Amino acid sequence: MGLQTNGLSLEVVGREITGRPVQGKPRRPAGPFLLGLPALLLSCVLLVPIGVTVVKAFVTNQHFGFGNFAVIGDPAALHAVGNSLLWVLVACGTVAVGFSLALLSYRLPAVTTLLQPALVIPFAVSVLVSGATFRMIFDPTPERGTITAVTTRLFGSSPVWLGPGLFWIVLMSAFGWTWLGYVVSLFRAGLDAIPDDVSRTLAAEGVRGWKRLWALEIPLLRPITGVVTLTLVIAAVRVFDLVLIVVPGSMQRSADVLGLNWWRASTTNADSGRTAALGVVLFAIVAAVGLIGVRGLRRRRWAMPVAVVPLEPTLRRPRPRPVVRRLGWFIGSAVALVWVLPAVVLVATALHSPREAGLRGWWSPSGLGFSSFAAAANVGLFRALLSTLVIATAATAVLLVIAVPTAYLVAWGGLPPRVGRVAMAVFVVLAVTPVQMYAAPLRDAIDAAGLAGSRVSLALVHAAAGLPFAVLLLRSAFASAPPAVVSEALQGPVRQSAVLATVQRTYRPALIAVAVLEFALVWNDFIVGFLISGPGTTPLSLVLWGEARQFSTSSGPVAAAAVVASVVPVVLLLSFWRTVVRGLTTGSRP
Amino acid sequence: MPSSRRALLGAAATLLLTGCSSDVLGLRRAVRVAVSWSGEELRAFHKVLHGLGALSYPVEVVPLGDDISTAFDAPAARRPDVVMLPQPGLVREHWRDLAPMPDDLAPLGQVRLWRNLLVQQGQTYGVPFKTAHKSAVWYRPSVFRQVGVQPPQHWSDWLALNRTLTQAGVTPLALGAGDGWVLTDFLENILLGIAPSVYVGLATAAHPRPSQQPQFGAALRLLGTMWSAPGALAGGVKESLVQQFPDALVEVFGHRRAAMVLASDFAEPVVRSFAADPDDIGLFTFPPMSAGAPAPVVVGGDVMVLAAPISDNSRDLVRRLAAPAAVDPWIAEGGFLVDRRTSGYSPELTRLAEQLTMPGGQLQFDLSDLLGALGGINGLWRVLTDFLIAVGGRGTDAVPDAVVAAMSAMRKVETS
Repeated sequence: MGLQTNGLSLEVVGREITGRPVQGKPRRPAGPFLLGLPALLLSCVLLVPIGVTVVKAFVTNQHFGFGNFAVIGDPAALHAVGNSLLWVLVACGTVAVGFSLALLSYRLPAVTTLLQPALVIPFAVSVLVSGATFRMIFDPTPERGTITAVTTRLFGSSPVWLGPGLFWIVLMSAFGWTWLGYVVSLFRAGLDAIPDDVSRTLAAEGVRGWKRLWALEIPLLRPITGVVTLTLVIAAVRVFDLVLIVVPGSMQRSADVLGLNWWRASTTNADSGRTAALGVVLFAIVAAVGLIGVRGLRRRRWAMPVAVVPLEPTLRRPRPRPVVRRLGWFIGSAVALVWVLPAVVLVATALHSPREAGLRGWWSPSGLGFSSFAAAANVGLFRALLSTLVIATAATAVLLVIAVPTAYLVAWGGLPPRVGRVAMAVFVVLAVTPVQMYAAPLRDAIDAAGLAGSRVSLALVHAAAGLPFAVLLLRSAFASAPPAVVSEALQGPVRQSAVLATVQRTYRPALIAVAVLEFALVWNDFIVGFLISGPGTTPLSLVLWGEARQFSTSSGPVAAAAVVASVVPVVLLLSFWRTVVRGLTTGSRP
Repeated sequence: MPSSRRALLGAAATLLLTGCSSDVLGLRRAVRVAVSWSGEELRAFHKVLHGLGALSYPVEVVPLGDDISTAFDAPAARRPDVVMLPQPGLVREHWRDLAPMPDDLAPLGQVRLWRNLLVQQGQTYGVPFKTAHKSAVWYRPSVFRQVGVQPPQHWSDWLALNRTLTQAGVTPLALGAGDGWVLTDFLENILLGIAPSVYVGLATAAHPRPSQQPQFGAALRLLGTMWSAPGALAGGVKESLVQQFPDALVEVFGHRRAAMVLASDFAEPVVRSFAADPDDIGLFTFPPMSAGAPAPVVVGGDVMVLAAPISDNSRDLVRRLAAPAAVDPWIAEGGFLVDRRTSGYSPELTRLAEQLTMPGGQLQFDLSDLLGALGGINGLWRVLTDFLIAVGGRGTDAVPDAVVAAMSAMRKVETS
């Protein structure tokens, strides 16, 4: 609502009320508590195995103590811990780079046009695919490896990029390529949500440049920084398949990370207490970072104003000068080009015959055709595709059915505050728990139930693993509902259903974000299927992994399998990206 | 739009239903075959399965790569039903997790070389599916002709040949050191050549201690002499380390940057499909260590084993796969040898098959496969990788220290 008088333009803006609209202790019917029951049951799929692992870690020869943790003194394990901590640094670095890119695109608005889709594609493909792509790009022979070809041309010779020490560059490029789009999009959404009146006030007070960054952007983006850092650190500590596919066998020892070390220990018949202790250490690292991240989330420094009426165009951020726009467009296109290059490499490699792809690079004009796709199809790609589709769909459906009522219960269901806090804490801990903490007891239980190799059990595990994050995200989205809407609905005769209807209408972005992310996550999964279902099931990523064993001579079929595997998540995320980002950022609001 | 959305949902539902009706849900018990193969080998195995005709049960191939031994560590319920085990030595360790072969198949596993590995407590726990000749060296005859040399007659002849090639500006060797077993194959051939009795002793010992055998050190020294020659390895040590075995083959035959490569018979499909000149492919077998001595022949292979508990379906599948004609599709693809069969192969593989059946040859089973964990990724593979880094291209002066270091590293692995 705008008002103009005497050349003065006034505008009415609603501001969110914090706290409950009605004071006093509300009546608490028992009914809503049932909403949380399915989630409780599903969470037990993780909670019980985690408990088993923790107990195992602390029990040595029937004595309670830290005996098993001596495993960390083992030089190989120590090296893996060091590398995992290094990965945490890589994650923080990625957040910093993403933040600067988001800031750049905010200051130079035209940057985003091409950059956005270019950044989303890598996020949609699996870690295995991006690892395979970067291994192709950095291949040590100048005939195949793009970077090697370029450095050889420039300097006469080239370092062996996959060789000792340098494989870290390849690993970090693949990691950064995967995650930067997510980081930039979220920060950008947060920056866009900064109210212009605040910006203008600060500008009027002469706060500019670095000062403005410290005074305005960084504090305002703290909740989003929390979410982003949390996701990235978890991803970094869980790094597993990336190392397996990128690092050549002879170098894997030096690239060892905790997740891999755990897996080797658990497959070589080592003492189960020892592997459990490794899992607990891995978990401790993630949980420490997770808790710091959550602290960032909890701070309610700022209540974001809710725009009741869309701003008039004249009041929006001023259009930048043409020079700035052109500059932004240029930079954006350049970055976008660089960013899609790996995807281009992958598709172009897939379009060469296996022989040409193994012999020469993606740029070679000879041997074009679809024979690599045929070769990939011959190792059971389509059967794996179908089975992956079944698992991903089932997991997403189960997750939504259980997460929505739970999130509603935690947000507005009238849970006693203390119970609510405990529930949230449990979900936060579960959300950051690495697979290694529950994989071993869980697969034993699945085997004992005679469900080994069944896709249904794998889908259930995926749903259980996705539940904490989904509930956290949905709860925040529900909780950020205008309290007036909720209280109206609560007072009506059809209370819950009305609230759920409101929720459904208003908080669709968060719902879609949860569904899309879960589907893509399960579709791209390697580690859960690998660790829990073992060699029994052959989801897509396992086929990819099998093909990648003789990497460069199979690069045609590997690329073809990767392209086929990536089509679904890429299309899905590209079409829903705006909604996903909206859903994720509502979720990060306090 | 709603109608199109409904159509889409309908299509998705149909797709899901058709998916569920097959064995995609994993509810119908498939016979799961764990293999270590990938790429061309995996495709060829699918052809073999396809050639078996219509089966009354689904078959699922599970590629496990180098981690195939994990197939046994899984609890019974999750174990694959049939494992194509590339390290038959593991049968000795794991026979309690396996089911004995049906009586009609058992004789197949009781032939020479295999008997010691596959027969435990009077029962046969595996039958050979694929035999590997691990003492073959593939080379480009055109380079040899150009420089005017012949395939070597014995070890020092080979060293001289490498020198001649290097002087003529040709890199003699490509080494796929990214795969640890490529390195152990090299060492095993030398050890078998200089000290067959030590080799056999290590292969049959309950607790093998290679580091206590002076001949093991001697073999390392000889190996070091070849690897340490400046310019001997294509791309130097660094590039060798990131090369897998097919990459080394491509270096020789595709990019033509080296003259020869030690690679088993199963390298054949890669050699043929990546060779720039299909007529420029030659093969010689690992030369004897001295004139007059027998040439070493290291034999490897994949054996079919049945994980316990056993089902009728998996027994049926093994029986079908063990039929002599079952593997014809793979033999036609190349790079496949069958125990005691000498016909139907390419000329190169026929020579290898004949050497495998020749009486009185110095045939022994792959040592690293018999050493268990000691011969694997954290054992001999790692020791030899470090050894290669220590000597590669540094000249013979670097060898003695590297041998001492490798022996002490080996001691450490043995005692851990």
